Amino acid sequence: MAPSSADDDTPAATATAPTDADPGTAIADGGRAASEGAAATAASGEAVARSSNSFLGDFWINFKRWNLKAVRNPFVLVVSLVQPIIFLVLFTQVFGNLAGGALGGPAGAGPSYETFLVPAIAVQVSLAAAVTSGIGLVNDIENGMFEKVLVSPMRRTAVFLGKTCAELLRIAVQIGIILVLGVLLGANLATGVPGALGIMAVGVLFSLWFIALSNTLAVLTRDQESTIIVANLLQFPLLFLSSAFLPLDVLPEWIQTFATFNPVTYGVDAARGIMLNADVMTVLDVTTFGGVWDTLVPGLAVLLALDLVLGAVAVFMLRRASSSAVQ
Amino acid sequence: MSPAAIDARDVEVTYSDGTEAVRGIDLEVPDGEFFGFLGPNGAGKTTMIKTMATLLKPTGGSVTVNGFDVVSAARKVRESIGYMAQETTVDEELTARENLRFACESYGVPKADRADRIKELLDLVDLADVADKRADDFSGGMKKRLDAATALVHRPPLVFLDEPTTGLDPKARNRLWDYFGRINDQGTTIFLTTQYLEEADQLCDRISVILDGEIVETGSPAELKREVGGEILDVEIGGDAALAEGDAARAEGDDGPGARERAVEVAREAGLFDDASIQITDDGISVTTPNAQTQGTDLLVALRDAGVTVTGFNVHAPTLDDVFLAITGEELEHADVEAPEQAALAGGED
Repeated sequence: MAPSSADDDTPAATATAPTDADPGTAIADGGRAASEGAAATAASGEAVARSSNSFLGDFWINFKRWNLKAVRNPFVLVVSLVQPIIFLVLFTQVFGNLAGGALGGPAGAGPSYETFLVPAIAVQVSLAAAVTSGIGLVNDIENGMFEKVLVSPMRRTAVFLGKTCAELLRIAVQIGIILVLGVLLGANLATGVPGALGIMAVGVLFSLWFIALSNTLAVLTRDQESTIIVANLLQFPLLFLSSAFLPLDVLPEWIQTFATFNPVTYGVDAARGIMLNADVMTVLDVTTFGGVWDTLVPGLAVLLALDLVLGAVAVFMLRRASSSAVQ
Repeated sequence: MSPAAIDARDVEVTYSDGTEAVRGIDLEVPDGEFFGFLGPNGAGKTTMIKTMATLLKPTGGSVTVNGFDVVSAARKVRESIGYMAQETTVDEELTARENLRFACESYGVPKADRADRIKELLDLVDLADVADKRADDFSGGMKKRLDAATALVHRPPLVFLDEPTTGLDPKARNRLWDYFGRINDQGTTIFLTTQYLEEADQLCDRISVILDGEIVETGSPAELKREVGGEILDVEIGGDAALAEGDAARAEGDDGPGARERAVEVAREAGLFDDASIQITDDGISVTTPNAQTQGTDLLVALRDAGVTVTGFNVHAPTLDDVFLAITGEELEHADVEAPEQAALAGGED
């Protein structure tokens, strides 16, 4: 069997080593010296018994790996926050007074631009962070870790779930940072701490469809640059042609039309609804639930549907990429 | 009766573009053997090893690894093998210890054993002193050793090594050979692919020569080398003048032999070799013999006694080219390292 003591060339001595806590291994270690039959069977039997992780175990292993990689590489963590923070600071400082008018006047009943903008920045963070999900996958494919994981007995679904959940955790943390920063800049979070958690949840739900998209791109292109370029190319039009930076009714009609079909609108409206504790959605006129729920219910429903559709595509692509069928 | 470590029956792997990478391979590797696949780039070595390691499904035939079918019991196979890909694979953002920990966890090494197992493997591959350094600071050889260690965490009874020493300097390569030898001594079956006869010779109990997706010959390194007829002994005869003199003499209708012909005559008369194994080369003669070292000395003495001037003398082991030439009758095509499978596959038809 494999070396249980590196410097020991005699299998017999290895087999009787008192430090060897694994009785099966001791038998297997003698496999070659002893007559093949029983010992060899013990060898394969032992290997199987040794490697029985639960689904949750497999999930946890991968969740840990990707969290560790995120911590090891704070650059990614910081960079995906820098752009949203720049947006937050510049937009509030440069457009704050102007935009305030569109929102009902700084002295009027409308919210401050800081309050209006922070939920949009939270969604921007989700988008930026979701892009890195595909990049992580491409990296793994390029350097062989993807194959190394596939050749291990770990369950594929648990592997991808673990990775995705690590990314979702990171997104939640980053949104938390943005919210704190926003409040420091003068934004008003009407619903307090539960609202903050709610916005994080919206951000996570929102990010899933883009994570699915970036992973699909990763599997399709198997190339880091392409994945980054395509994902980044999508980010800005999606953000600007939505309710993110200004109320839709002050924007040209064609943008309003586009925004109706833009997932970002639903993510931003849901987050903003929580931020202001009010029905802020203008693209869909829902009145059945009352108050903020008239925004949250349709917003979350749209996001959920989108997550399911794109998620299914990503699962299909990942399953194909990780299957052993010859292509 | 225990199942063979590998039992492959008429395995075929055909890619969707029609490339027949593996074309009917039968293979049986008993438990504990150090077995090698020797062949050029594109011969189908990697495709076959990936098929046995469950990364590819065979399009024909069947493979049983450690008693489990690679298609219907893929997970059982994965639990019972270690696999080291051709490209060095480590997570460079993690330390050596973290890489090994991830591998331990992936293969379900019990928590209580993990620390000991990791320490043991770090010692085995001489990385204990850099255990907590990130792998992206490692040299190629160090990464390769770490990669090898991660394939061993669960004490697999069978380990697949796909060209494990390609791209390594001789020192790093020798170290890896040493590790593989030790693991095999302790009972692990090893399946290795290589392009280097020297590597197969050094490590393997048995070798299959693979060409164009088929096994063309199987045997021990000694048996394969016998196909070539042993080592090759090159003797450089005379100076340019001596050769010119001989050639000139022949041109003039003189029946007296040239220096090289004379040398061949001497070699034949010495009765040391088969006549067929003696050949005239550009600057002397070349003899293929299973016993070049001792017979070479005898030959040199005989040549000196006969008054033939020997200016150079060289013994070399048969190269992969020699073995290929002997076994397949065709020259080994030297494809680039990056060459796609198809390049060499286009080579032969049978």
